[in-house]
Amino acid sequence: MSRKKTKNDALYLSDRQPLTTAKLISLIISYILLIFWAFVILWPLAQIVMSSFNGNQGSYISIGGEYKFSLKHFTYLFNETYFWNWVLNTIVVAVATALLTLLIVSFTGYAYSRFRFSGRKASLMTIMLLQTVPTFAGITAFYTLHSIVAAVIPGFTRQLFLILIYAGGGIASNTFILKGYIDGVSTELDDAARIDGCGNLQVYRLIIMPIARPMLAIIALWSFIGPFLDYMMPSILLNDPKSYTLATGLHTLINDQYNMQQPAFAAGGLLTAIPIVILFIALQKELVSGLSSGAVKG
Amino acid sequence: MKYGTTVLDDIGNAHPRKNLRLREKGVLEEKLKQADKSERAAIRAELKALPKKSDHPYEKDLRAVRDQEKKLLQGTKDRRRKSLSEIKDTDPKIRSWLLEAAESEERYRFYEQHQDLSYDFELEYKKNFDIADQLPEAAAERRALLDELAEAETDLQKANSEDHATAKADFEEFRAQRIAERDEQKARLKQMRRDGMISAKALQNERKMTDLAADEDIKSKKRSLPPAFTKDRVRNIRHKLKTEAVKKEKLLNADISDLRRRTPTETDKRIPWISWLTILLPGLGQLIIGQRLKSIFFFLGSLYIYLIAIPYSLGYGNYRGDGIAGLFSLAEGGARLDRSIIFMIEGVIAVILLVLALLLFYFSFRDVHRNEKKEIRGIRLNNWFETRSSLRRDGFPFIVSAPAALVTIFIVALPIAVTMLISFTNYDPTHQSKFVWHGLVNFKQIVAGQGIAGGPFWLITGWTIVWTLLATSLAIFIGFTLALLVNQDRVLGKRFFRTTYLLPWAVPAFITIMFFSILFSPQGPLTIALNNLLGNTKPADMLNIKYTSWGTRIVLIILQGWLGSSYIFLLSTGILQGISKDLYEAAEIDGATGFQQTRHITIPLLLYQTAPLMIGQYTFNFNNFSIIYLFNGGGPFEPSKYGNMAGTTDILISYIYKLTIQNQYQGIGSAITVVVSMFIMFVTWIGFSRTKSFKEEKL
Amino acid sequence: MKVELVNIGKKYEGRESFTIRNIDLVIESNQFCVILGPSGCGKSTLLRMIAGLNSITEGDLLFDGKRMNRVEPKDREIAMVFQSYALYPHMTVYENMAFSLKMAKERKTLIHERVLEAAKTLQIEEYLYSKPSEISGGQRQRVALGRAMVRKPAVFLMDEPLSNLDAKLREHMRVELVRLHQALNTTSIYVTHDQTEAMTMADIIVLLDQGKVQQVGAPSEFYQEPANLFVAGFIGSPTMNIFNGRIENGLFRTENDLILVEPNEEDARKLKDYEGKEVCMGIRSERFNAGKAEKNGITVNIDVIEMLGKEQLLYCKFPDGQEVVISEPGHFEYGLNEDHNFNFDVDGLHFFDAETTMRI
Repeated sequence: MSRKKTKNDALYLSDRQPLTTAKLISLIISYILLIFWAFVILWPLAQIVMSSFNGNQGSYISIGGEYKFSLKHFTYLFNETYFWNWVLNTIVVAVATALLTLLIVSFTGYAYSRFRFSGRKASLMTIMLLQTVPTFAGITAFYTLHSIVAAVIPGFTRQLFLILIYAGGGIASNTFILKGYIDGVSTELDDAARIDGCGNLQVYRLIIMPIARPMLAIIALWSFIGPFLDYMMPSILLNDPKSYTLATGLHTLINDQYNMQQPAFAAGGLLTAIPIVILFIALQKELVSGLSSGAVKG
Repeated sequence: MKYGTTVLDDIGNAHPRKNLRLREKGVLEEKLKQADKSERAAIRAELKALPKKSDHPYEKDLRAVRDQEKKLLQGTKDRRRKSLSEIKDTDPKIRSWLLEAAESEERYRFYEQHQDLSYDFELEYKKNFDIADQLPEAAAERRALLDELAEAETDLQKANSEDHATAKADFEEFRAQRIAERDEQKARLKQMRRDGMISAKALQNERKMTDLAADEDIKSKKRSLPPAFTKDRVRNIRHKLKTEAVKKEKLLNADISDLRRRTPTETDKRIPWISWLTILLPGLGQLIIGQRLKSIFFFLGSLYIYLIAIPYSLGYGNYRGDGIAGLFSLAEGGARLDRSIIFMIEGVIAVILLVLALLLFYFSFRDVHRNEKKEIRGIRLNNWFETRSSLRRDGFPFIVSAPAALVTIFIVALPIAVTMLISFTNYDPTHQSKFVWHGLVNFKQIVAGQGIAGGPFWLITGWTIVWTLLATSLAIFIGFTLALLVNQDRVLGKRFFRTTYLLPWAVPAFITIMFFSILFSPQGPLTIALNNLLGNTKPADMLNIKYTSWGTRIVLIILQGWLGSSYIFLLSTGILQGISKDLYEAAEIDGATGFQQTRHITIPLLLYQTAPLMIGQYTFNFNNFSIIYLFNGGGPFEPSKYGNMAGTTDILISYIYKLTIQNQYQGIGSAITVVVSMFIMFVTWIGFSRTKSFKEEKL
Repeated sequence: MKVELVNIGKKYEGRESFTIRNIDLVIESNQFCVILGPSGCGKSTLLRMIAGLNSITEGDLLFDGKRMNRVEPKDREIAMVFQSYALYPHMTVYENMAFSLKMAKERKTLIHERVLEAAKTLQIEEYLYSKPSEISGGQRQRVALGRAMVRKPAVFLMDEPLSNLDAKLREHMRVELVRLHQALNTTSIYVTHDQTEAMTMADIIVLLDQGKVQQVGAPSEFYQEPANLFVAGFIGSPTMNIFNGRIENGLFRTENDLILVEPNEEDARKLKDYEGKEVCMGIRSERFNAGKAEKNGITVNIDVIEMLGKEQLLYCKFPDGQEVVISEPGHFEYGLNEDHNFNFDVDGLHFFDAETTMRI
């Protein structure tokens, strides 16, 4: 139940100090700058949206010309390109990466946090050192490595290799972050669980992992989003346009002079962006805190 | 090593020797140590004169008893048969326990008489005594449980066959009643809310708890219905049967283990020579010193070494390579299908396998060696139960990290190693199938700026550094400023601004980059708009951003500023919100204006807390492949300065990409990769070593 | 359940010396035993060894005569309350309390019964379905107790459970814990550094310092007959006054001659062997008699007065600066900087060998 604010010129009710002219001017300038920047952000994004629906465009995007609402670019995208393949591929890779990362890192994070074993410090240092080497350092070898393994193990697809690369690249930093989080969980909980009858695996499964859920969610989220944003790795490893991920796939719509489909690209970009943006907005707090709690590979 | 007159057990307590022959040696040795020169010769003669093992009276006694022992052990089978017929119980576990108890009773009576003769006999005596003592009791308890189970099972049969109409009806009545109670409680809560006595959140909580409480009560009542109740009981007893048996046996083994830890052993051996002798065959040493089950694992390791690692390194079982030799030859002079890169990769794999093999040799040796030394001091070796327990306890982290280790070695370390090796070869367009080692030639080319590939190296490096500094700093500046502006007290619409400023980070970067690339293309809308602004109407005068290097560069920097400011903004906002208001109030009392507060409190705190992360931002842009490549392909080109491969806006990583993937100059590309990686590792190391957690050694 | 510790010792791997050694202790069934000591004395280690969380290096731990050294914690019929309660944050109070029984796959009806029973005793029925983060510190502590009770343990272990509570609640819980112990009919072993808790709650106290037992016995023994200087100084508030001196001609005399005391008959007999030797004399603050100067008296100057109501503590100084604390009834009148005379009550003297610090 709220009360109406009573307006009374004689009484100054605000908690803050009254506005001086200097402060008023600086406030106005602040607003101008902020609104200006908001415009700078929103205009290009709005253009992407508008272009996807602008039927008055052929193969090239035009802005400021006649506007005719149409869904023909979307139709083109769905029917004439491998868009749905790209979506499926990306989702498969993203989910698999997230799951694999979670599986591996949940165990290593637990092991490094709760056990003192020989080689622990040394391997932790090595992990951190490896973490600083960017993934692209190995691109020369990846392609050939895959051929070798594929010859020995049938069914070892390029996507599988891509997933392994994504997961492997994240093991170091994610273990470190998770370990840090689990370190913050009191070991008395482990003791109580042992007295209650839990062995190592049960402590892991019933006590530690449920408590670490927030951090696990962050790790899963980052591992899931990663493949959506990456252009370089799929462009190196995947050779069949049908097997591309979204980044590489959409690029094909605009890099071929003879097959230019810019509006379709805008449409595809819009569709890709919407779920990710929603994800980011809904979980921005967790994502930022996850990043700042440990140097995550950019 | 000396024999000494005492032996140590695992806890560190010394026990007097029971082996008289060795004791004599020990006594004489001690005399020798304390004697002066004149006596030494005499004592040494005494030592030499000591009767040999086969003639010594103690050893003769020992052998006699050992013969008796052998006879005793030979009678085991017959005794077993006799006991089997005497044991009435039908449960297999109980029978085996009682059997063992009976046998142990015979044995301990025997060993009891001879415990002073040798520690082995003392151990056997105590061990068998414990077994004979504990197992019958365990059997009796198990019998009681089994009887209880039988009873419960008959009850269950009865309950299943009967009709439980009344019980069910009772239950339904209870259930209805409880639900009515619950609903009444919830109605009351709702009324309280309406009257404004409790908050909305409290209502929600209480409602949830009322539901839970009612659910639990109903569930537990249901479980107490006859069939369900008895089924539960049966299940519970069965579980107890299983766990009790395991528990009792574990306890017994643990007690025996304790006895082994406290009862020393005596041996003639003074040098751990078995470990040295068997160093090349892991498993053999363990077998010889008596740890049979453990040796199986090490034998598996030997199998790995001799059937996998070594053959592979010699070239057998390679896909196309030649094992370690392949690293040196790189398929030189080989068949057409033999490619150097494959030889190289398989060579590295061979090295990894060999390293693992070496580790296996080492661990096996160390295991045998340590155990031998322990035995010499008097400590008994671990039996299988003890080994298994310590494996379970200490081995858990290793087993659980194994997948991570495998992935890291083969997916992360291997490719990096290969890249490093390639940088020392002449892998280029003319040497795709076969290349050779040529030392530091690539590095020299890069540093000197020569060659098709190495030529533009310094130019590109220069631009990379400029790009990194400008783009990151711009993003940081914009992000900080926005955060400071939005965070001001009086600014309204914070939520709107924060959500909007989040967008550049949320929208996948490749989309925005590619979109801007389109907008700036020669016929693109932004190009047209720009030219209209500048008044260029004639086609010849048109300014094309993407065709001028300075234009592209400026747009790139601004674009990255647009993209990167978002993350910085979020980070800074989080930190700003975390700064305690007390600081500002104190400053105000001290007379600081708003601007001064910002300058002396906000900005320093912001910088201090984000500094380590800022390093990450700089290294990110140093390697920001996407924006450079996707915006304008690293172009525009300027062949006179940059050659045909690199563009004027290429940074090192996009250049590496072009060299390696598009132009097949893998050798030079790898060399540049090595240099860049070292540099980044170095910078990150500096930044990381300054972070708090590292300084506090919170590893 | 009778708990016996026979020559218990603990040595951590990689360390040279034993952390705890030669601990002998017998706790009879249903006794409330308090393990007391300053930080770092090894009391928590000892408790954890009894619980099975740390391994026992040497010695034997017996529950009712049965050797427990290698038995797993879950099989020892113990329950433990931790300093920080260690409640599983992701489970409700009900689930927390039911957890151990669930792990043992007990019958669900039994679990439900026991949980409700414990909740009723501890008056936490209302919170059964809340999470630990939603209830207050005192309630959490009761949940921790409930979790321990549900197992119907034979031995109740508590590791400084009251240290996270505020003063008033702590007083209240002290009484509650003792009542609970009596109602449950278990043997309780309680670790603390607070001597008030020890003195008020224990049937027997074990005082540890640096891994060694200083004294074992009933609380009154600690107060009336401290076994050495450490015990004398640890128990009792304010701390016992200790004077260094020697025995000359059967009398205790300090170096500065300011104190000259004739011990009573019993003490004199014991001190005969210490003629000429260095000796420490201890006396509690309340064993001084106010009055005219007598044979065993001292004259001191009052520095600070702490008025506690029913008694007052006089912090006095000797002419050479040595301090002494004297407790007198509150209604006596004393003023700052006044010189007063106090006489030693010779029946309340404690003598310690200056070298070994042991009681004479």
